[in-house]
Amino acid sequence: MIEVREITKRFGRKEVLKGVSFTAEKGEITCLIGVNGVGKTTIMNAIMNLTPIQSGEILIDGQKINKRSYEKIMFIPDAITMLPQMTIQQAMQFMDDFYESWNEKRAKELLDFFKLEEGNKISNLSKGNTAKINLLLGLALDVDYLLMDEPFSGIDIFSREQIADVFTSHLVEDRGVIITTHEISDIEHLIDKAVILNDGTVVKSFYTEEMREKEGKSVIDVLREVHLQ
Amino acid sequence: MNITFNKRDPLYVQVIRYFKEQIATGAFEPGEEIPSRRELASKLKINPNTAQRAYKEMEEEGLIYTEGNNPSKVTKDIEKIASVRQEMIMEAVDAFVHAIRPINVSLDEVVGLIEAKLNEEQPEQEGRK
Amino acid sequence: MINFLKLLRFELDRFFKLYVVLIVVTIVSQLAGLVIISKLYMRRAREEIVVNQNSMESFLETYGQFSLANLTHSLWFVGPIALCIVSLLIYVFFIWYRDWFGKNTFIYRLLMLPTERLNVYLAKAMTIFTMVLGLVSLQIVLIYLEMNLVRLLVPRDFRLDLPIQGVIHSFDYFYILIPNSFIGFLISYGTGLMALFVLFTAILIERSYRLKGVFIGGLYVTASFLVFISPLLLSEIFLPRFFYPTEMILLEVFAGLIVMAGAIWLGHYLLNKKIRV
Repeated sequence: MIEVREITKRFGRKEVLKGVSFTAEKGEITCLIGVNGVGKTTIMNAIMNLTPIQSGEILIDGQKINKRSYEKIMFIPDAITMLPQMTIQQAMQFMDDFYESWNEKRAKELLDFFKLEEGNKISNLSKGNTAKINLLLGLALDVDYLLMDEPFSGIDIFSREQIADVFTSHLVEDRGVIITTHEISDIEHLIDKAVILNDGTVVKSFYTEEMREKEGKSVIDVLREVHLQ
Repeated sequence: MNITFNKRDPLYVQVIRYFKEQIATGAFEPGEEIPSRRELASKLKINPNTAQRAYKEMEEEGLIYTEGNNPSKVTKDIEKIASVRQEMIMEAVDAFVHAIRPINVSLDEVVGLIEAKLNEEQPEQEGRK
Repeated sequence: MINFLKLLRFELDRFFKLYVVLIVVTIVSQLAGLVIISKLYMRRAREEIVVNQNSMESFLETYGQFSLANLTHSLWFVGPIALCIVSLLIYVFFIWYRDWFGKNTFIYRLLMLPTERLNVYLAKAMTIFTMVLGLVSLQIVLIYLEMNLVRLLVPRDFRLDLPIQGVIHSFDYFYILIPNSFIGFLISYGTGLMALFVLFTAILIERSYRLKGVFIGGLYVTASFLVFISPLLLSEIFLPRFFYPTEMILLEVFAGLIVMAGAIWLGHYLLNKKIRV
């Protein structure tokens, strides 16, 4: 389980996170929802220790993040995490070299699934294909937790469908996934838990099926309610 | 296999409903193998947890059964299937009666209308599911 | 340890193309330069002696004998060295900043590797250090080549054969880069390494605090420098002529080690607690 406890974060004088708390369980897909700029990416970066927090703590399976954590949790940010002049093959080789949890078989499988060629240079890929490679580099690791920042943004509809397929497949099963989005309508049927962020805090956090069962509301309904207040 | 989900009812309930419909109409035959949870999630484009929940409930209700590590199968219990069919029918009747009651129409007129409609739409029904 | 080596190899690979260019430019410029200026010298000699009917002695009195010092004082020699120094200096900054900017967000990957982040820092430092050593080694080999080549180009009467030390000393800055003794080597390169670490840490300060970081980084570099020369300052101001030279050196080494350790520790702290992508 990933626990985020009362984290605060300032950029200069601006307070972006004013005490954010939530949990993400293994085997569930948790979605951080909020408008652009609310701090979703910052939270992800904070979980991965890619940006410091002013207070609060973040625990991964009960422990603070350390170098070994990166074999258990992987972040797929909005930007490509490889050198643009590398070929896909070289990028995969790099991952293999440094990560014990790299699963070569699954990497090849994903390459097929996304219909990508090993020999292509990353700088020559389209935006959709770059996103897919980024995903591949994370999914091909046997990690317990995956964090994905806006995996669907700015991508053509066909690539989006391919990426959505990943969530319903064995590639993501049994893992704890946290994704962020500002556009929930396409994917609300895929997520287990919704964490709504507004003005630096968690406004509401709930299980989607529970919300449907108990109150007959979709995630979008809840979003509307939250913003009406 | 195609379900259009609405986002306000629990997804797993909608999945179960779909299965009940298939069983009631005989599209799923007694004892027929059904897709694994993963396959179902993949086909329907839903979260594997949703598929898992649906299967669990259906197993508890006796709609499907699993022998050891074999794939799950539709129940062979004829009574169960009949009761599912009954359930579907009653749901439709409930909904219909609920809708028609405020309109104050006589039973004879209603029955006549239903009969006419059934005869007219019969060939279409096969294709719709 | 293994991860450090993997990262070192990775960083060396990244610089390789540029490195080869620097090597080729240095070799070509120095050797071609030697050929050209020796030919110019001999042509001048022929002009003076044959055409102008001056004696060889008078020519040698006016123009002096040709030695490798002629080369080391020329742009053919100094140029590539300046180019290498400037390139490496730029690369000290580039090796970090390139991973943040441009189409490149490789810093994400470097910071998410399952290894001590300090290994990234040390690998980058070692890369630069290795390249410096490589270029200096190249220069030494080139000097030997040039010593032999000059014998083929200029007749003995016109030539002054400098011993290798002579060649080295003819170029003002070589006594730093190619020291006479092992101790000298340790002091020169030790100080260089210390300065490299201080610069790296200053870069990390900027990357952690951005605009504020530029000022803090500047303060840090100044503070480090002051600590480094503190034995000299103390000795001059408070205790003049108190320490023997050997003791002074020891104190300086100590001060240098403190600054180096401080830089590495601070770099480690920043990478783990303060850095942002």
